[in-house]
Amino acid sequence: MLHVELVLQGLVNGSMYAVVAIGLTLIYGLLRILHVAHAGLYTLGAYITVLTTNATGSLALGILAAMLVVGLCGMLVYRLLYEPMLERPPYVALIASIGLFICMEESYRIVFGPYGSSFDMPRLGERIALGPISIAAADAAMLVGAIVLLTGLAMLMRRTRFGVAWRATVTDPAMARSFGIDTIKVRYVNFFIASVFAAAAGSLVAVLNNLVEPTMGSVPSYKSLAIIVLGGLGQVGGTLAAALLLGVIEAYGTIYAGAYLDRDAIAFIFLIVVLMIRPQGLFARGS
Amino acid sequence: MRIRLKYLALALSVTGWVCAPAQAQDVVKIGFHAPLTGFAAADGKSAKQGAELAVAQANAAGGINGKKIQLVVYDDEGKPENTIPLANKLIGQDKVAIAVSGGYSGPTRAAAPVFNRAGMVYLSAYAIHPDITKAGDFIFRTGMMGEVQGRAGAKLMADMLKKKKVVIVAVNNDFGQALTAGVEEVAGKFGLNIVKKYTFAMPDRQFGPLVAQVKADAPEVIYAPGYFFNAGPLVAQLRAAGVDVPIIGQEGYDSQRFIEIAGKASEGVIVTTSLDRDSKSPATRAFIDDYEKAYKDRVDMVAASGNAAATVAIEALRKAGSLDGKALRDFIRANAFETSIGKLSFNGLGEVKKPVQVQVVKDANFHHYAVIDDLVLLAPPEK
Repeated sequence: MLHVELVLQGLVNGSMYAVVAIGLTLIYGLLRILHVAHAGLYTLGAYITVLTTNATGSLALGILAAMLVVGLCGMLVYRLLYEPMLERPPYVALIASIGLFICMEESYRIVFGPYGSSFDMPRLGERIALGPISIAAADAAMLVGAIVLLTGLAMLMRRTRFGVAWRATVTDPAMARSFGIDTIKVRYVNFFIASVFAAAAGSLVAVLNNLVEPTMGSVPSYKSLAIIVLGGLGQVGGTLAAALLLGVIEAYGTIYAGAYLDRDAIAFIFLIVVLMIRPQGLFARGS
Repeated sequence: MRIRLKYLALALSVTGWVCAPAQAQDVVKIGFHAPLTGFAAADGKSAKQGAELAVAQANAAGGINGKKIQLVVYDDEGKPENTIPLANKLIGQDKVAIAVSGGYSGPTRAAAPVFNRAGMVYLSAYAIHPDITKAGDFIFRTGMMGEVQGRAGAKLMADMLKKKKVVIVAVNNDFGQALTAGVEEVAGKFGLNIVKKYTFAMPDRQFGPLVAQVKADAPEVIYAPGYFFNAGPLVAQLRAAGVDVPIIGQEGYDSQRFIEIAGKASEGVIVTTSLDRDSKSPATRAFIDDYEKAYKDRVDMVAASGNAAATVAIEALRKAGSLDGKALRDFIRANAFETSIGKLSFNGLGEVKKPVQVQVVKDANFHHYAVIDDLVLLAPPEK
């Protein structure tokens, strides 16, 4: 029974990593930018959720507001930060992104204070029993939320005109343009969707921990980079699998290797091992 | 020619910069560093506010023989590599008379030898690493050592709560290690059976796997050293999983934020700390009331500790008869100080001697539960 719970908890953490890392993958896939400041948007999403919920009493409204505002902020980050440097080598955007991330963390500290914020009333504290095993409602919300978001994304990519345009732009931007696809619009929508995912992850984590802090993005910022590399950069399916796998490995690592290894070190040992054996990433296709 | 003028201007401004503090003899400076930005910014802010309050009140009461006290504050970002240059700056450039650390163990441990070599008294407010005071006889600690508080935790669990089967879940830094070591040191004496030990990292907020495992271990009591931002989610997740045995925390929990994060789950959690919210001591009462009035925020252990360390520094500056490092050191050694965290006196190593406060969360506030004043059990090391 312990192992069922460990795997379940691993999947809860893994689905959080997945929701953050998918956004990063979308952006890397389209523009080859390692968008470190994504984790800053994740923190912003968490803050907006808590503050709106406390002001209005509605968690649903808080999450919606977070997704909308952070989605727009993501587009703004693209317009103001990345677009002017698209012609530069990729490390320029990376450095700019790290700079923006640090700036965001310190701004949150100045604006919201260093002590962090919580919901006035802890949300989803009850426990749901499924036969012999039970799961906290907040954990269930994280799992269900991740499934809904990822299914939605899959539908969007496969069933809509935007999905076709996105895939065409990733494969061959020049050809896509010649077929009349507005590749600039694709980029904006791409940043919007990726940032909505960051906000959703932030909201779910705020509910899970009942705590949002200025520095809450620091671990996701580098762990999600490890995950997208593991998943084979730019591969949506691979990112998902890598995130869930890492969640479960960490769950076991915390219990059986916690005395020697920090939980956050596990991700990187896993990453090093994978890069030694499969340098193209765990789930990369082709050569 | 233009370049030369520039150099001249630069030289003038540099000498002006150097001369200015030398002329300002009408103030007495206390050096202070704390993590005002970065991962520990919450504690840094509390420590700074606590120290500032002590200075403001001392100035309102006439300062030091008519001279105003100035707190020279630097941000150490919680990083040990920052405090050596900071210490040199405080000594050489700011020419402070005494220094206080409102920071964590790493930064404080790095700075202690620098202050000691300069013959300047340096007081650690709440950093717990044993090596800090070993840097020399100018270094004092007004907070409790981790080991000492761990021993108090063991007595609390075994003697007062009569629970013997304990699981330890500790943050994996010097704070968690020192507290765990304190419990282990006296576990045999109290008949405590430490079934399992687990660790987590300071950034961890999700403890699902640990909670599942602790539940399977079925302890009678859980000893969980960590900070409020770990402890809030940890306690909430343990209670949500149906683990209802007593949870014992320590001074890292001692913030109203812990209660806000954990909500109802925080009720009944017992912590060993240095601040007694229900104290009748005038120094403690005045501090709690003044702090909450001045900052419109609830007081916490770190604020009280920053205040206590600054209070000791101010008392020494006032009464030692000289601002010389040796005179200040000898005065602190020889005297007892009435502070927000009780009456403090120091042993030969510079470690504080004082009882441990035990507080329990009741109706969303910390309240008095007990005092552990067995000074043999709580004796800090002498060397």
